[in-house]
Amino acid sequence: MARKATNTFTHLSPFQRFYLIAVAGLIVGPFIPLIIQSLAFRWAWPNLLPTVWWMEQRERSPIPLAWDYVLSPYSRVYEATFNTMVIGLAVTVICLAICLPAARVLARESFRGKSSFEFFLSLPLIVPEAAIGIALLMIFINLGLAGSYFGIIIAHLIPTIPYMVRMLTAVYQGLGREFEEQAMILGATRWQILRMVTLPMLMPGVVAGALFTFLVSSNIFLLTFFLGQGKIITLPTLLFSKISGGTLDASAAGITLIVSLPGIILLIISERFIKEEAFGKGFGN
Amino acid sequence: MTQVQLRAVRKEFGSFVALEHIDLNIASGELVALLGPSGCGKTTTLRMISGLDNPTDGEILFDGKDVSDVPVRDRNVGMVFQRYALFPHMNVEKNITFGLRVRNIPAEEVEARLEEILDIVQLTQFRHRFPAQLSGGQMQRVAIARTLITKPSVLMMDEPLANLDTNLRGEMRRFIRDLQQRFNITTIFVTHDQVEAMELSDRVAVLFDGRLEQFDTPDAIYHRPDKISVAKFMGASNIFQGTIGDGVVKAGFADLAVTGTQQFDAGEQVDVMVRSEAIRLLKQPQDGAANQVEGEIRTSDFFGATVSYTVQVGDHQLNVDEHSTEKLDPGSRVFLQLPGDRIWLFPKRAN
Repeated sequence: MARKATNTFTHLSPFQRFYLIAVAGLIVGPFIPLIIQSLAFRWAWPNLLPTVWWMEQRERSPIPLAWDYVLSPYSRVYEATFNTMVIGLAVTVICLAICLPAARVLARESFRGKSSFEFFLSLPLIVPEAAIGIALLMIFINLGLAGSYFGIIIAHLIPTIPYMVRMLTAVYQGLGREFEEQAMILGATRWQILRMVTLPMLMPGVVAGALFTFLVSSNIFLLTFFLGQGKIITLPTLLFSKISGGTLDASAAGITLIVSLPGIILLIISERFIKEEAFGKGFGN
Repeated sequence: MTQVQLRAVRKEFGSFVALEHIDLNIASGELVALLGPSGCGKTTTLRMISGLDNPTDGEILFDGKDVSDVPVRDRNVGMVFQRYALFPHMNVEKNITFGLRVRNIPAEEVEARLEEILDIVQLTQFRHRFPAQLSGGQMQRVAIARTLITKPSVLMMDEPLANLDTNLRGEMRRFIRDLQQRFNITTIFVTHDQVEAMELSDRVAVLFDGRLEQFDTPDAIYHRPDKISVAKFMGASNIFQGTIGDGVVKAGFADLAVTGTQQFDAGEQVDVMVRSEAIRLLKQPQDGAANQVEGEIRTSDFFGATVSYTVQVGDHQLNVDEHSTEKLDPGSRVFLQLPGDRIWLFPKRAN
């Protein structure tokens, strides 16, 4: 069914080739100096490549340099990665638990004030994050939630829920009632219907929504910065503390690369999943 | 083998009355069609028998027992949806065994019943395919198998032939009939297609605007409709006004001798119906023939086995279907005979 990809670009016109290279360059381009920087010891303008590499200085330096520093406990990268993962997972799970039933109602029922409800749903995306962050911080300090995992997770739910609800509502709209009704007639319990029919059929949307939520959560800086109060660091806040001085040294470049890893890994997983999903469903439709 | 009864069933959706006082007695093992135009309440009736919807008023009985409080999953009914509702993420096997797996039936029994039903619906070689890889007819057979494997007491089908192409419809019709007789299962199906209803069912329930108009055999519904609305819905007819005379009905173009005028008062206004295939069309007049009128062919449409003519008789136009052995051209003079025992009179009513 899928067209076979050809191995060469010979059938493309010069314009098409230029276009592809430009897009690839814009996406991959910024990573190249970052990778070089992370391996450099001294790299100053106007040199195209570092004059002194990290490996050359590695033995002589009394303190860990570049990747040695990034991967050492001093950098707090492990701690930040762990926090980012825990918060991201918790936010994703809670967000799904809230949004699945909400999306079901929004997709299938009509009620008074539904359209204004849908409008207010996107409000968190319109209000600046800084405003939300400051307001939340004042409340959370009073509640004793500032600087706690719980506080950060709640804060992360604010910008993620609108996306998730919208995504799942669209998926639910595509899923007719008759599948669940058929399952019910065939003798399935509510739980069996959810487990065997509804969730598997919603899976592509749920996975896409979950990956997206995790990515958003793991990239939130401002809310985490305000509500973590320096007690809880995640990859974005760690990165900010390393580059806020205005310079990007080898270790900061290394951390930057690590911060972009979760996104790349998730993207690969989702690509895989979506392909397998399409294959499992057979051809067409 | 279950007898299904609806007693004074009424269904409202908000202020909209979908069904009004429906009484229906469906015998055990009977194949019944619910026939009517879209929005007449036939699908609602099906959904209430299945338990997916509950009547606002009245009761539904299976074998004399009220099932109103029995939840859907315990009602032991089968339903084949119009678009089959096959689970797209399960293959044919998993789809068919769904109803057994949710009831925790032992794997050996599931396997045995699967083999048996796959053989009946002739899908054994497709057992590992996914719904998207099946044709419309195959999908329908999977949907039927998935329902029959649970041994339901009542089988319901929503527009069973609507999504199939013409060639497949005939095959599927025989298939459904065979299955129904083989399992001897009370079957109710919904359709808006008169032909489908007459071909497939033992009895037809005609529904208009949430009201049951007539419930009878296909033959009676077609040839002896209770109401002019049913007569109109059941196919090509000539309907015109008449006044009752002495053993005749006075139509504008002729006085027609009709059996059954005695149930009306002389001078009463009636609706007169005669089916287009009941009228005989002749090139020469027959001496002494009753109800013979002369006319001129206006249009003729060839349909293969039959030709449909419109014939101008006085200031009336009559539709006539004839065998196509000889096709007459517009402008031809012809003689029409309207058999007195195939003319139906209906009292004038609001409808």
